[in-house]
Parts: sequence; C-alpha cells; structure tokens
Amino acid sequence: MAAANQDSSRPHNTRAIMTFLREHAPFSSMDDNHLAHFAEHATLRFYADGDEVISPDDGVVKRFYIVKQGRIRGERHNEKEDRTDTTFEISQGECFPLAALIGERPTRTLHRASGDTFCLSIEQDAFITLFSESDPFRDFCLRGVSSLLDQVNQRIQSSAMASIGSSNTLDTPLERYALRNPIVCSPDLPVRKAVARMHDNSVGSIIVTDDNRHPAGIFTLRDLRTMIAEEKGPLDTPIRQVMTKDPCCLPSHADAFEAAMLMAEHHFAHLCVVDDENRLIGVVSERDLFALQRVDLVNLARTIGTATHLRTLISLRTDVSRLVDAMLAHGADSGQVVKIITTLNDVTVRRVLELNIKKNDPGVPFTWLTFGSEGRQEQTLLTDQDNGILFQTPEGMTEDQVREKLLPFAQTVNQELAECGFTLCKGNIMASNPKLCLSDREWDDWFIRFIDASTPQNLVYSSIFLDMRAVFGPTEPLHRLLDKVLSRIRKNALFQKMLAGNAFQRKPPLTMFRNFRYVSDGNKHALDLKRQGLAPFVESVRVFALANGVESANTLERMDELAKKGIFDPKDANAWKEGYSLIQAIRMRSHQEMLNRGEELTNYINPDDLNPLDRRILRESFRQAQRLQQKLEVTYQL
Amino acid sequence: MLEQIKQWIERRRGGRSAGLDSENLPNPKTPGDQLLSDSRLIVLDLETTGLNAAKDEVIAIGAVAIRGGVIHLNDQFDLILRRPELDITETVLIHGIGHEALTQGHETEDALLYLLDWMNGDPVLAYHSAFDQKFLEKTLRSQLGYTTSHTWMDVADLLPAFFPEAKTGGKGLDHWADYFGLEVSARHNAAADALATAELTLIALNLARKEGLRTLKELHDKLHYHRRLQNMHRF
Repeated sequence: MAAANQDSSRPHNTRAIMTFLREHAPFSSMDDNHLAHFAEHATLRFYADGDEVISPDDGVVKRFYIVKQGRIRGERHNEKEDRTDTTFEISQGECFPLAALIGERPTRTLHRASGDTFCLSIEQDAFITLFSESDPFRDFCLRGVSSLLDQVNQRIQSSAMASIGSSNTLDTPLERYALRNPIVCSPDLPVRKAVARMHDNSVGSIIVTDDNRHPAGIFTLRDLRTMIAEEKGPLDTPIRQVMTKDPCCLPSHADAFEAAMLMAEHHFAHLCVVDDENRLIGVVSERDLFALQRVDLVNLARTIGTATHLRTLISLRTDVSRLVDAMLAHGADSGQVVKIITTLNDVTVRRVLELNIKKNDPGVPFTWLTFGSEGRQEQTLLTDQDNGILFQTPEGMTEDQVREKLLPFAQTVNQELAECGFTLCKGNIMASNPKLCLSDREWDDWFIRFIDASTPQNLVYSSIFLDMRAVFGPTEPLHRLLDKVLSRIRKNALFQKMLAGNAFQRKPPLTMFRNFRYVSDGNKHALDLKRQGLAPFVESVRVFALANGVESANTLERMDELAKKGIFDPKDANAWKEGYSLIQAIRMRSHQEMLNRGEELTNYINPDDLNPLDRRILRESFRQAQRLQQKLEVTYQL
Repeated sequence: MLEQIKQWIERRRGGRSAGLDSENLPNPKTPGDQLLSDSRLIVLDLETTGLNAAKDEVIAIGAVAIRGGVIHLNDQFDLILRRPELDITETVLIHGIGHEALTQGHETEDALLYLLDWMNGDPVLAYHSAFDQKFLEKTLRSQLGYTTSHTWMDVADLLPAFFPEAKTGGKGLDHWADYFGLEVSARHNAAADALATAELTLIALNLARKEGLRTLKELHDKLHYHRRLQNMHRF
C-alpha cells in the first residue's frame, strides 16, 4: 500500500477523486494534469433527498457538477396537466448542467436530489480552464449529452469500419457525390450519336432532357447491350424510343442513403439529381456511392432479384450479412440498416415467389402479406417468417377451391424461404396455414372477430396481425382491408384499452433502483433486447398508432406520424426514437459479433460485457421506454 | 504538500522576522455567534502507532476544511510525520504505513507549525475526537511547547444527535459511512478517514440547517446537551 510512496506530491484525497473521475466519460479520456486541476479545485457538496440543487430562479449557472454518489432528477412543470414531470435523471459519474453553463444562462429545469446525494463541483473559472485546455472535455461539453450517443454510434461504426476501411458516410448529401455537368442529349438524337458522346466522355450513361432541362429518360450501356442483343432497332433510332422513360430523380439535399435505397428497390444503377424545379443538375451512379466497397447494395439486390435458382438465393444470404457490416461502417444508423435488411428480405421473398410462379403457377392472383417485424420493416439478421395470403375469389370459384390451389404453392414457398434462412414460424403463422390464406371477405370477418370479440388471449397476436404489409401482388386489396380495420379500432375504445393493457405488461428491464432487471428464466445476467428492450416501445407505439389512424406499420414512422398529429410531444418522440434506435443498434452489433464468432444468433446480451458508456445508454433508453409506458398508463387509465 | 510547506516556511522566514515560534500563530476561536454558513470547520483524523496516548505517537495527519457547508478540496492537509525512531510493527498492518514511508516524512516541527497556521484557530471536528485531541495536544506540547486548546467537537456525537433513529448497527465511523452509503477510498488512511468524517458532517449540517440551527454556539450546545443526555442514560 504505502500510499505516500506513490505520487506523494498529490494529497490522497485528490488522487482518490482523480480515480473516481477516470471511471467516467469524458474524464476517462482526459490527461492526468487536467484531472488533477479538477480535483484540486473541486468542492464536495451534500444534498439530502428532495433538496434543490440548481433552480431556474438561481440566475445564470456558475458551476459545473458531477454526481459522486446518489442521483439528480430534472423537474419541469407541466402546465397543461398541472403536475411535475421528471424529464431526466443524472446518476453517478454524470455531469450537469452543460447546456446552461455553456450558454451562460439559467437552467430551464429544476435539478433536485433524488436520494441522499453528493456532488463534486467546480467554479466557472476552473471550468473555463479545463474547457480551453482539454480537447476531450471541450468536445464533451459542446456536444452535451448527445455526444454520448455519438460515441456509441462512432464505436459501432469504427468496429465495422475495421473490416471495410472507408470513410464515406451515407449521411453525406447527394450533391457531394453527384457528377456535375452530366452528359445530356435531346430526345431526337440517334442512338449512335448518343453512344459516341458517352464514349468521348467515358461515362456509362446519358440523360435525355427536354427543352427545360427536365430529365425525360436515361440511356445506359446496359440498355445498349439489350438493344443489340434483342435486335430492338437500328442504331439510327431516335434515343427516345429506346431510353428508360421517367428516370428516378432525387433532390440534391437528399442523402446517399436515400439514393442507395431507391437504387436497391428498383435495381438501377443511376439516379438523376435535380433542383427544386426538377431541372437536372447531376447524376449519381451506384459506383459513386460505393466506390470503395466490396459488397454493394444495388448489385446485391439485383443479383437476388434476378437469381434463377433457389441455390443462388441461399448462397446470397451470406452477402447480406457482409453488407450489414459494410452499412454500419458507412455510418448507416440502426433504422437505416433494418430497412436495408428488410428491403433485401423483400427482394428475396419476391424472387422465391416469382420462381415458384414460373415453375408452377397456381393460376389465382394473390397478395403476399407479411406480419410482425417484417411487416414493420424492422427485421434484423435473426428473423422468423410471419406471412399470409390475401386473395380475391374469382367468379365461379369458392374460397375453398382457391385455397386448394394456393395452399400447396404456399407450402413450397414457406419451405424454400426456410432454406434461405427465414426460420419457419413455430406458431404456424404462415401462408400455408389454411387459416391465414383467406379472401378479402374472410380477412375482414377475421378482423371483426379479432377486434370486436377480443379476449386477452388473442391479444397476444396483436403484435403480429396489426403490423401488416404487402410484399408481393396487388396492394390495393390490403389497403382497403386496412382502412376498415383502422376505423373499426378507432371506434372501439374497449379494444384500445385492452391493447394498451397488453402493451403495459411488457416492462422495460429496470428495477426500482434503476438497475437492470434480468430475464427470470435460466440465463442469469442476461437481458433480452428484443422482448424486454424493443417490445415495450413497439407495443406502446402500436396502440397510439392504431387508435389515431396511423397506417404505417414501422415503429419509427409511427412515432413521426404521432408527433405530426400532436399525439406525442415532438421532444418526447425524438427521445423515444433515439432510445429505440440505440437498443436496436446495440442488438445488431451483438448479432454481427455472434455471427463473426460463428455462434447461433440470440437477442440476449449480458450488460456486464458492455462498456460503462453503453450500459448507461442502455439504461437511459430503457428509462425512455418507461416514460412512454407512463403515457400509455395515463392515456388509458391502466 | 511538501512544496506547500516549503513555500510556507520561506514566506514565514522571509516575510516576518519573528521566525518559527509559536507566538505568531492564530488564536483558537471559541464557539460564539458565528454563523454556521460562514464558519470554517476543520475535520481531522490522525493515524497513530497505538491507542495509548502516554506512549504512542502520531504518524500521519489528514484534515479537510468545511466552509459554508461545503468541503473545499483546495483547502486540505495530508502529511505523514517523520518518526523513524518509533517501533511501528504493532500498527503498521492497520495503517498501511511502513518504515519507508515514515522516513520520507517531514521535520515534525515544521509540519506542526504549518498545521497550526493552516487550522487558523478554527473549531476542530473528529470522529471520537477525544482520542485525536489527546494525541494532537500531546504532540504539540512536546514538540512545540504549544498548550493552547482548540474547540473540539465529536462527530461520533454529532450524528446520533441529529439522527437518533438511525439503525447503524454500531457506533463506529464504518457503521455511519455504511449507513449513508459512503464510499471511503482507503480506510485507516488519515486523509481518507478525514474526508469520510467530513462527508458525514455535511449530512448532519444539512439537517442542522433545516432544524433552524444557525450559529456555531447553537451547534456546540446541541452536542453538549446530547452528551449530557447520553450520560444520564448511562446511570
């Protein structure tokens, strides 16, 4: 021990405070000299439970605090409902009040001790010294709390980046990527001349514009290949006859991610970038977006979408996983990545259906429905099939006769999807189940029973059937069905309340003392990020969405819609979206890690394996889920 | 600390011709109408070679100052005295201070003069203060011939006086520290124990303020009263 021997120039208590600081961001990345400066200039203050620490009435904030022990809660008076809301909680190792201190203004939130609390505090002059001398400290203060979120995202990116090695991000505005002064021609130019112009400029595409510089079509080398191979006409043909009409356009402020998604969905490699008046200002190609990338989204989507054998589709699944790595590396957030996975899954499902129709057409048109997480467009690499069929009974046939044709077809599709990595649904929620292969009339009856005669038991299925989307076939029948379902739910307050009660059952995994509550069965120290973390968000948001006529099934989109409709406070909606996305991000990163280790994918994580920062983020995200549930509780008087 | 003492000695020697005698030291203050919210309180802890004030010696002194109900970490005292001639085998295991550390200590007289100057005559609080008072006064007397008494208050009395219902499971510093969930960085280190004692003092002062105690005298009287009450119960 001999404490006096080590660094005896600093008093023991100064060193002890430095040790404490080192355990927390941003101090963990600060120099010892700066930590010593903090410790030597600090005061230690005590606040009994309920004591005010800083109040908006105290005037301009003059000191910086860090919680040494205990907790601080932020209180804001809710004038509409005349009660006090807890807006945030600050626990051990966390700092406050950053925004007010930097902004040299009074705090807007009353900070109150929650339990007996000790805080270390420095005066403004010591704060300014650290602020001007320590880069990590300054960064932290300037970005405020959100820098913690950034750090998590940065870490996710950098670990994925290690396997890719590129610094482009998908948030980059498109204009940065887009080729200025694109090669253009008028619609009457013969193909031969257009190709010559492309050759002269060594580009693979030419945009056909009208007199107002509005893009009218696009012609690429691939089109030329097809034209010659399929003998569509002589090279003197005016280009407007062979061009792809109405090319896809995006405004210049759209980001690379939107462009990539659009390309993946439609399988094309070029997009026009236009100004507000739809005038062409540039072209962006798939290669521009993914110049340095080994796996590319568009090409992968195209390969899947044109695969001719099931075998190929199966082998392409590993590419999907590699792509997820690449996407994380390119700065896609978890919301973007789940959409990419869903898009690629959609393409796969469509291709399996197309291949089967080609082989063995059941002869009746149908809409392929997906439910649950796929319906919400929230799939990760670990995914179950939840699907069904919606058909319109052709004249002269009974519904059972249609089923006779569709069920064997659906059976094969379900099996083949399983071979592609979509696990068969244990609950038999699959299109090959006669109860889920129904006509529009039957589905409508089904939902009437589900909603008007609902029992607590069948509410279990709400998370599946109330998040529904069409993946293949005409979408209009589903749209009509959804219309009826939504208006029925809006009118049925009892059903809403039961739904809310059901959602309220899923408690975020925090104990009364804000520690993690682990899953009760088997696996000790494990959190189920899907059931305990995401589900409380998904389920609560669904109730509000259905009760307020929001048609989207995607949780983030539902929250946006609810904020637009004034059901959610925009600030709350943002906090909830962020909390939800961060849990999703941590879950996906853990999936990638399991995959890299060759383990079976699960949704369990041990919070002890996370670094302190991620643990804090996770805890705060769960707290946001609790707040969302409180809103549910108040709204439905549970 | 070493640097601080050197600078202090140089200042004293250079600034005033009076030199290092006990004449120029601050006078101890008596608890009067000073407001608690203005007063400076010293919270002190000693490590000694044993429990017998007649033959054991002080090894280390740790102290922090409370001003305005707040612990100021730029106002603290943390020093190991130079006592190489002492037999320390008895207590070395408790304190974690070995021979090597002791010999690196400082000239006792300088250190004690500096301590008195730093204390500035302010009231001293300690846990089981009778022990610390006996040892410190003995050392000051023998080393400096200093005999003036400071005002001492016992934090071991202060806490039960304000928290009579607390079920701490014992009367020690550890019991109270556990009761309030304090993290003590290193027990039986004079400085760390002094800080823990000071933290407990803050908790008591917080309640004192809410109970309307305003002056040092009122606090002192409350302790006195509590002590008498305890003694009455004893008989």
